Amino acid sequence: MNRLFRRVLIGIPAGALAGTVLVMTLTHPLLGMILGVLVGACYSASLDPTRGTYVDNLMAGGAFGVPLWGLVSVIAIPALFSHQPDWDAEQMRSQFPALVGWVIYGGILGLLTQGLNDLAASVWGPEATSVAPSDGRKTRVVILGGGFAGMRTAECLEEQFRTNPNVALTLVSETNALLFTPMLAEVAGSSLEPTHISTPLRSSLHRTEFIRGRVARIDLDTNRVFLASDPKAGETAPLREVSYDHLVFALGAVSNYLGMANLEKHSFNFKSLLDAIRIRNHVIEMFERADREPDTSKRRALLTFVIAGGGFAGAELAGALNDYAHGILADYPKLRREDLSVVLVHSRDRILPELSESLARYALERMEARGVIFRLNTRLTDAGPGVVTLSDGEIRAETLVWTAGTAPNPLVQVLPLEKDKRRALIVDRTLALPGNPGLWALGDCAAVIDAKTEKPCPPTAQFALREAETLAKNIRAQVEGRPLQEFHFDSLGALCVVGHQTACAELTVPFVRSKSMRFSGLLAWLMWRGIYLSKLPGLERKIRVLMDWAVELFFPRDIVQTIDLK
Amino acid sequence: MAEPHSAMIMRPGSSAKALSPRAGEVLLGLAVGALGGALQGMLLASSLAPSILEGILFGAAFGLFFAKRATSPGAGLIWGLAFAVLLWIVFPAGIVPLLAGATGTHSMLSDARERFPELVALLICLGMPVGLGLGLWAELQAKIAPVRFSWRRAIVAGGFAGTLGGLIFGRWVSSGNYFPLLAGYGPLSVSRASIILLHFGVALLIGVTFGLLFQCDVRGYGSCMGWGLAYAIFWWFLGQLILLPLTAHRPLDWSADQASSLFGSLVGHILYGLILGVTYATLDRFWVRLFIQSDPLNREVGGVGIHVLRSLGWGAAAGLVGGIVASPVLLATHALPKIIGLDTSLSGSRGLLLHLVVSAAIGMTYGLLFRNEASSLGLGVAWGWLFGLIWWFVGPMTLLPLLLTGVCDWSADAASALLPSLMGHLIYGATTAFAFLVMERRYTRWLLLDPRIAARETRRVRPVGTPAPALWLFALALGVLLPILLG
Repeated sequence: MNRLFRRVLIGIPAGALAGTVLVMTLTHPLLGMILGVLVGACYSASLDPTRGTYVDNLMAGGAFGVPLWGLVSVIAIPALFSHQPDWDAEQMRSQFPALVGWVIYGGILGLLTQGLNDLAASVWGPEATSVAPSDGRKTRVVILGGGFAGMRTAECLEEQFRTNPNVALTLVSETNALLFTPMLAEVAGSSLEPTHISTPLRSSLHRTEFIRGRVARIDLDTNRVFLASDPKAGETAPLREVSYDHLVFALGAVSNYLGMANLEKHSFNFKSLLDAIRIRNHVIEMFERADREPDTSKRRALLTFVIAGGGFAGAELAGALNDYAHGILADYPKLRREDLSVVLVHSRDRILPELSESLARYALERMEARGVIFRLNTRLTDAGPGVVTLSDGEIRAETLVWTAGTAPNPLVQVLPLEKDKRRALIVDRTLALPGNPGLWALGDCAAVIDAKTEKPCPPTAQFALREAETLAKNIRAQVEGRPLQEFHFDSLGALCVVGHQTACAELTVPFVRSKSMRFSGLLAWLMWRGIYLSKLPGLERKIRVLMDWAVELFFPRDIVQTIDLK
Repeated sequence: MAEPHSAMIMRPGSSAKALSPRAGEVLLGLAVGALGGALQGMLLASSLAPSILEGILFGAAFGLFFAKRATSPGAGLIWGLAFAVLLWIVFPAGIVPLLAGATGTHSMLSDARERFPELVALLICLGMPVGLGLGLWAELQAKIAPVRFSWRRAIVAGGFAGTLGGLIFGRWVSSGNYFPLLAGYGPLSVSRASIILLHFGVALLIGVTFGLLFQCDVRGYGSCMGWGLAYAIFWWFLGQLILLPLTAHRPLDWSADQASSLFGSLVGHILYGLILGVTYATLDRFWVRLFIQSDPLNREVGGVGIHVLRSLGWGAAAGLVGGIVASPVLLATHALPKIIGLDTSLSGSRGLLLHLVVSAAIGMTYGLLFRNEASSLGLGVAWGWLFGLIWWFVGPMTLLPLLLTGVCDWSADAASALLPSLMGHLIYGATTAFAFLVMERRYTRWLLLDPRIAARETRRVRPVGTPAPALWLFALALGVLLPILLG
C-alpha cells in the first residue's frame, strides 16, 4: 500500500474520533468535525510512525493544538464567517474554550494515531519504503579517468539518477584524488601545499563505487574493462574485471614529446601533483648544489631553468619558478642573481595564443621585467645531461620542464575506434561514439565539436565540466529511452597568472559573445585567485589554500626538500 | 553537536531486586507524588487528603506512562512539567468548568485565572519533583548509559553560559535599575553591587543547572534555545513565585494578579533563557569539536562546511516562503510597517519588500539553528512553531520597541496587544520549517543511498524518545497561554 495513502487512512478515523472534542468546544460543530478529520489526516501523513511512542504523540499532539487553535479558531473560522479574524486580545480571550478544546483534541489525536499505526503495523506489516526496490538487473555505468571530466561526469550522474537503485556507477582512476590543475604551478613554486589542491574522490562521491587502478585493456566485444594487477601480486595474478553497459572515456591527455626520446628522458613532466613536487624539490636541489659549486659556469648551468612551451601551463610555471627561485636567493648568500636564469622557449612569435595579442604582449613584458628570458620562434630539438639543444643553439641547463605538447591517453590510441589526426576519439554532437552504442567520450581524450558553432572545443577544464553535464543527461536519456541533447557551450574567458600579483584575464561579455573584457595586473590577479578559489572543490580545501596564501604574505616560501631526488 | 555514538558505558549491575523496575518506578512516583500533593495542599491552604490523592494519582500515572522517557533528571523534569501543564489545561481549566456548566467564554477564562495557583502548584509540587525524582532514579538504575555525560563539560559550559548570559542581559537591563531575574524578591534594599552580585549568582545557578540537566538532550543551537526558553519559564515559576519571596520572608502569592505584575520578569527570563541556550550550545559545540570530534578515532564522513552553506541558502528561501505566507496576517494587524524598525512610515510595496528581506534573513537563522532536529515533516513544523514563538519574544516584544522607542515594554498589557502578531509569527515559523525540510529532504534523500551518510544522518538527527514533544507542549502552551491569562 502506498505510504501516504496508508497514513491518511489512519489519520481520518483518528481525527474523527478526536474531533468529538472540537464538536463540543467550537462554535460550529459540523466544522469542528470536518476540521478534526482533515487535521487528523495531515497529522498522520506528516509523521513517520514509530512503535510504542504513545506519550510522545500525546505531547506532540497537544502541542500542535495550540498553534492550530490560533490558525483555525482565531483566524480562519472568524475570517470565513464574519470576514474578520478574532485576533485582538479580547477576541482571542473569547476563544479560550476553543484553545482548551484544541489541546485536548491534539492529545487524543496523538494517542489514537499512534494506536492505529501500531495496529496497522501488526495487521499490514511495516510501511513501504520510498526507494523503489531493485529488480536485480542494474545498468552499470563505468567512467574511466578521475580528472575534471570524469569526476564531474560521476557527480552529474549521481544527480541524474539520484535514488534510482537500478543504476550502478563506477569510477576508475589511477589517482585517488582530483587534481586542480590551474593551481599546479603554485605548488611547483612553493606557494601552496600539494594536498591542498587535490580533492579525494572517495569523499566527494556518494553513491559511486571508486576503484583506484590502471586500466590494462578494454574488451569492447564483451563490455569489460580489465584493471592492471598490483605489481607486488606478481604477473600471474588475475586481472580484476569491471563489466559495463555504458563506458565513459575521460582519460585525459599525456605529454607529447614529439618522438624525441631524449626529451622524455631528460626533462620534467608537468601534468601531475608528483611532477610539481619533483620540480619544486629539484629547484631546491639545484640551489643546494650550486651553493657548494666553485666553478662559475657549472653553477650557472645549475641555476638555469628552461621551460619548453609558451601556453598557459608553460607561462604560469615560468612565472612561478621565476618568483620562487629569485625569492630563495636570500637563503643562499653565496649565490648571485646574475647566475640565475629562467628561460621560456616557444616555437611561435608570441606566448599565450589563447589570449588576445595585447594581453599576451603585456604578459611577456611583465615577465621580462621580472627576469624571465624569452626565446621565441625557437624550437627545442634535443636534450641531454646538462644541456638543452635549441633550433638556434644550446643552453647549458640542468633543468628542463616540458609543457610544449599533449596527446590523448595512450590507452585510447590502441582501441579500435575512430580517431582524428590528433589521435583523439571522434564523438558525435551528443558525445557518443558513433556506431558504438554505450560508448561515450569527453575531455582531452575526445575530439568534441560544438553543435552550434561546428568548431572543435578546446581541451580545457571549463569545457570538460560542461561536457560532463551534457553527457550525464544523455546517458540518463538513453537509459530512459528519451532523445539526447547536443553539446554547446560558449567559453566564459581565460585567466593566466604570470608572476607575483600579476595576471591577465579575458572574460567574455554576456550576451555579446564576440566581445570580451580584458584585465591585467593586480585586478586580474585578484580575479584569478577569487575565481579559481571559488571553483576549487571542497570548503576545507578553499580554507587551506586561503591560509597558504595568507601565510605567504608574511613569511618566505619554504625551501625544505620533501623528497630525495638522487 | 551530536557526539559520535560512544560505546555503551556499563555500570555495575545492582544486586537482585525485590521489585521489577516498572513497579519501582510506579511506587517512587506514588511516594513523591504523595509528598508533593501534601506540600501542594499546605501551600494552597486546601484540604490535605484530596491533594495527597491527586499527588498519588499524578505520580502513579507518571510512573506508569512516562517513566521510560524520564531517562535522566533533565528529561524527567521536562516530561513532568509538560504533563502538569497538560493536566491543568485538561482538568482544572477544561473539563471541570465544562462539567460545572461554565460554558461561557468569560466564565471559563475567569475560572482559569482563578485556578492559576493550581497551575503553579502542579508544576512545582508535582511536575518538578516527580519528574526529577524518576529521572534521577532511572539514571542511578541504568546499567547502560545511552549517551556519555561529562560533569566537567556541563558545569564549565553551563556556568560560563549562565554568567555570560547574565552579563549580556545585565548590562542591557541594569541601566533601568530593573533586574528581571530578581523581580520576585520585591523591592531590594541593598547596595547596587549586592544586587548585581545576586543577579550573577542567580544567572550562574540557572546556567550550571541547565548544563547538568540538559547536556544529553540538546543537540543543536535551535533545540538548545528551545530548552533555554522552557527552562526559563520554569525558573520564573520556581524563582519569582516561590524562592525569591521565601528568601525575602514574604508570603507566597500565586494569584493571577501577582503573576501579571511579574509578567515583565517572565519575558526577561525568556530572553535570558534564549541567550543562555545559544551561548551554551556554542560553548558545548566548541567543547565537542575541540575534545571529541577532533580525535581521528571519532571521525565522521564529510564535515561541516558545504552543508552549513546549503542550510543557510535553504533557510533563506524557506524564510522567504514563510514571510509571504505570513504577510497577510501581519498586514491585517498593521504590524508590517513597524517590523522594519527604523522608519515607521514604510508601507505598501517597499514595506512588504523589506519584510520579505527580513524574513529571508531570519529564515537563514532557522537553517543554521534547527538543522538535524527533525526526522519528519511534522516534527519539523513543531520546531518551526517554537522558532516562531522565540522570534515573537525577541522581535515584537523586545527588539522592535527598543528600535522604535528605545524602551522595552514587557508588561502583560503590551503582550496582550501583540497577541495578533504572535499568530503571524507562528504561521511564519511553521511555514519556514516546512519549506526548509522539503528542500533539505529532497537533497539528502539520494545521498542516503551511501551507507556511510545514512549512518551519519542516523546519528545526527534527533531520535524518537527525547523530551522534545514535552518541550513543545510546555513552551507553546505556556508561551501562548500566559499572555492570555495574565493580560
